Amino acid sequence: MRIPLSWLNEFIALAESPREIADRLTFSGTEVEGIETVGSTFSGFIVAEVRAVEKHPNADKLSICRVFDGQAELQVVCGAPNVTAGGRYPFAPVGVTLPDGSLTIKKAKIRGVESLGMLCAADELGLSSDHSGLLVLDSTWPAGTPLSEVLGPPDTVFELEVTPNRADCLSAVGIARELAAVYRTPLAQPNIAGVSEAREEQAPWVRVEDAVGCPRYTARLLENVTVGPSPDWMKQRLERSGIRAINNIVDITNYVMLELGQPLHAFDRDLLEEGRVVIRRAKAGEKMRTLDEQERELDPSILVIADASRPVAVAGVMGGAGSEIRPETRMVLLESATFDSALVRATARKLGLSTESSYRFERGVDIELAERASRRAAQLMVELAGARVVGGVADTRPAGAALRRIAARYSFVRDVMGIAIGDAEIRAILNSLEIQVVEQGGDGFEAVIPSFRADLEREVDLVEEVARIHGLDKIPAPLPRSTVDPQAAANQTTRAKAVLRTVLAGLGVSEILNYSLVSDAALDLFDPGNRDQRAPIPRPLSADQSVLRISLAPQMVETLGRNRAHQIEQASLYELGRTYSRGATGVTETESLCIGLLGPIGRTGLDRRRTVTAEEMFLWAKGLVESLARAVELPPLTVRPTAVAYAEAGASVELLAGDTALGTLALVDRRIRKEWRLSDPVAIAELRVAPLLANVLSVRTYSDIPAYPSVARDVAMIVADSVTHEEIIRVMREAAPPELETIELFDIFKGAAIGAGRRSIAYSLVYRSAQRTLTDDEANGYHESVKGALRAKLSAELREG
Amino acid sequence: MNNAEIQELQAAAIQEVGAAPDAASLESARVKYLGRNGRVQDVLLALRQAPVEQKRELGRLANEFKTSVQAAVDARKDALQASASVASFDVTLPGRWHGLGTRHPVTQIIDRAVEIFGQLGFTVADGPDIETTFHNFDALNTPANHPSRDPKDTFYLDDTHLLRTHTSPVQIRVMQSRKPPVRIIAPGRCYRRDTTDATHSANFHQVEGLYVDRKVSLADLKGDLTYFARQMMGPDVKIRFRPHFFPFTEPSVEYDFSCHVCHGAGCRVCKHSGWIEISGAGMVDPHVFKAVGYDSSEVTGYAFGMGVERIAMILLGVPDIRMLYDNDVRFLGQF
Repeated sequence: MRIPLSWLNEFIALAESPREIADRLTFSGTEVEGIETVGSTFSGFIVAEVRAVEKHPNADKLSICRVFDGQAELQVVCGAPNVTAGGRYPFAPVGVTLPDGSLTIKKAKIRGVESLGMLCAADELGLSSDHSGLLVLDSTWPAGTPLSEVLGPPDTVFELEVTPNRADCLSAVGIARELAAVYRTPLAQPNIAGVSEAREEQAPWVRVEDAVGCPRYTARLLENVTVGPSPDWMKQRLERSGIRAINNIVDITNYVMLELGQPLHAFDRDLLEEGRVVIRRAKAGEKMRTLDEQERELDPSILVIADASRPVAVAGVMGGAGSEIRPETRMVLLESATFDSALVRATARKLGLSTESSYRFERGVDIELAERASRRAAQLMVELAGARVVGGVADTRPAGAALRRIAARYSFVRDVMGIAIGDAEIRAILNSLEIQVVEQGGDGFEAVIPSFRADLEREVDLVEEVARIHGLDKIPAPLPRSTVDPQAAANQTTRAKAVLRTVLAGLGVSEILNYSLVSDAALDLFDPGNRDQRAPIPRPLSADQSVLRISLAPQMVETLGRNRAHQIEQASLYELGRTYSRGATGVTETESLCIGLLGPIGRTGLDRRRTVTAEEMFLWAKGLVESLARAVELPPLTVRPTAVAYAEAGASVELLAGDTALGTLALVDRRIRKEWRLSDPVAIAELRVAPLLANVLSVRTYSDIPAYPSVARDVAMIVADSVTHEEIIRVMREAAPPELETIELFDIFKGAAIGAGRRSIAYSLVYRSAQRTLTDDEANGYHESVKGALRAKLSAELREG
Repeated sequence: MNNAEIQELQAAAIQEVGAAPDAASLESARVKYLGRNGRVQDVLLALRQAPVEQKRELGRLANEFKTSVQAAVDARKDALQASASVASFDVTLPGRWHGLGTRHPVTQIIDRAVEIFGQLGFTVADGPDIETTFHNFDALNTPANHPSRDPKDTFYLDDTHLLRTHTSPVQIRVMQSRKPPVRIIAPGRCYRRDTTDATHSANFHQVEGLYVDRKVSLADLKGDLTYFARQMMGPDVKIRFRPHFFPFTEPSVEYDFSCHVCHGAGCRVCKHSGWIEISGAGMVDPHVFKAVGYDSSEVTGYAFGMGVERIAMILLGVPDIRMLYDNDVRFLGQF
């Protein structure tokens, strides 16, 4: 909302600077978002009378004007479409500089015609951005009058952000009331006089059929109206407040709305069939053309003002084109009503129409304001449009309701603020907001809430009033209270995740974060088979973010691809985030970990240029996951070949820690990698976080450090390619006694010497007894049984010596 | 050989060994003196042939010859090896060990916030991303017609489920499950139907704080946030409250930090105001207590929220929120 400071000064005397006033408003709860200086001293500008207008001989859109400056007639070339003979316009004679300093007027030849000055539009004067035509001045101003007399001194306009609970602040008087409280200065209300307050009981020309939607409707009749332009001061206030001036009657309704906060509407009564209004729901199929020249389809959810036969206004939102004030309007029906805020909101949304009126009704307009605002507008119509008030006011509301009273305690105000503020000060602040305080003896009091403060309902609401007017800057910032919360959970998950992240960082893996919302297309690329389990967003912002991610892998691969496109040769990344899958009982959220590897990330030497093989990449990823599992105290990992939808054939496994399935490890299929021009292998591990955290915080207990020496024995063998390392280990373990401590792979060889389909593989086995030093014979005995088992179960050819 | 000859030979041997220019000549010197056919055999022969009364003294000398020459060989070997190892490789070559991974700035800020509030006795609470309208709005006293409920601002999954628009529903979940006092901090992802630009993201993180106990006051809120601000941003940072309106707090404030870069003098970071807007806070509204079954005549509480990305951007000087989700390793490696 925009309000000129000069308007506020009509109700409250403020000597402070605009900046200081703005700060006080902001820090008492009405944020000033902008402070704009408008107008100027207009040094050198005058009012000019255009006496004649002819077309420019060499330009279609220019005219040559004879301009009278009060002393002489000058020739001026003008491009404005609205210049007419007899009009009064702002004029900048030769030598005058525009308020923004952009131009100093010189004697000029425009398309061969001499021009001695410039007739000005509002934007050239810095009044608004309007450049549609010259600013039209009241024709009563004599030519030669300094423009500063017409437009007044420079002013400040505040751009205010009023919070939704403070409908009472959506007016000049409302803001002035806030300032009156802040500065403890008296507030002057507009002086309304000369209009009868008499009520016309049961006026037959007003009927409310929906009293819930319209709890109060007041109407006054004004006759003998002369419709014409508003005086300059009113036009200027409206324009500075961001509302276009139209004609005196419409302008007065807007003016009073800005002044008091009550939206008003003026009908041309002669355009109302039978001269009466009915406030009712629209009928299905009814149509109406609103003032913005849009044909609107109405329905029974919409409250309208109708005449005897048709809707003439959408209640609280916008008037209709068929009953508006015209130049020939003689009699006005002035509406000042209260409409239900939820109803207005629903209607405004349905029609896609937000107006100054609907904005205020949606937030709630004080029901007690309607008649007073009507009287104020009527008074201005009498003063400015020659109107005569006919009769009293038709008012559908019975007598006003009792004011709300809130029981409160001074001590509570102090406790919640955490500050020692005295009873008298609390009372003074409430009084300054027009809240009466009735002492109840001792600590208690009763606050009597004015009708315009519907937001004040509870004791704590009063605390806010005291706090914001007293000043939040006066609330101290003490050192934190240090007490222990005995019920507090021990932050186990947070601590465990922190360990997990630390381990990953230590393993050289960097954290990324992707959005939770992804596209179906991206998920389809990785696994078209999980569509049924995805949770779509019914109204997405875009297809790119239309479904909750069921896997972290697609964005991980995309991230690697994007980095690769930035010439990043290698990366090891992880994301710790939630994945979402839809089942019979709803959407399940799972904490997931995704690790992605790209490039020669496992090499620390100089051979980084050598192409990374699939096997290398897979084993790096596996080694990384194994290290991670070890670090989080899981049992040794085993793998089980499994199909992963986005994996290269044969390069995907399920990872198991003991019996617990952790997730999958896979090399991404070439077809998918091609989307991001990733020509080399990419490894993706997708793990559930819960099992990774299960043992992180477990307390480790001591086990004996070996006291006796170990004996190492090697075994080298040739086996078929189909025999896996894991199988060999299993066979050795099964055959050996508990004295077999470790088995370490130390060589693999394939080649012509060994023959196709076979490989040579060699292990170092360490035997140790916890009770004594093993003899060579004992160790040899163990080792022979291992060898025997390898021969028998795996058809291994053992290489001796 | 007599005693003097042995000692002479010993001196010559030690000298020759000590002067050996490389490992090969050292080895030949060792063989020459201590080898199976070396000069030591002459010494031992002399010992064997010596009369009984001289054997004791000659034995001592022979022993000394062997040990001292061997010691000289060892010393020379060490010296040669030491000089050889210094000379044999380029110590300026790049080191070989895999580097450390980096933490995402957003989780760094979250962890720091958790740590700071942890010092004040706050523990971490968590809630789902997919929330009910009850937890996200109703219980937080958000009226049925409040703009934040508008489907154009909120991602609804169906009539009663949505992607949480703030971390405040965690307050409700915690208070429903526990009696006061409560002191929690709840970091997490939030969602709003904002078109992404330099300062907005449909997907962002918040840290929620809630403290409920007897006589918790606005002053406590200010004190605790000041402590946080100083730990997070710098020791001189101050807090400023501006009155505001939120359905779930009363009184409600927006809070600003004094600029940690210019200390309030005005600079580019604070847009020359000296202050940086952070987020909203306030005293828990009695309607919220009612919704969770707390007695607002017994306890009061404060709640605050803060945008993690916003703090990350301010503190780390990140100019565009989208950079936090681009995952460019050249960006991530900076923090």
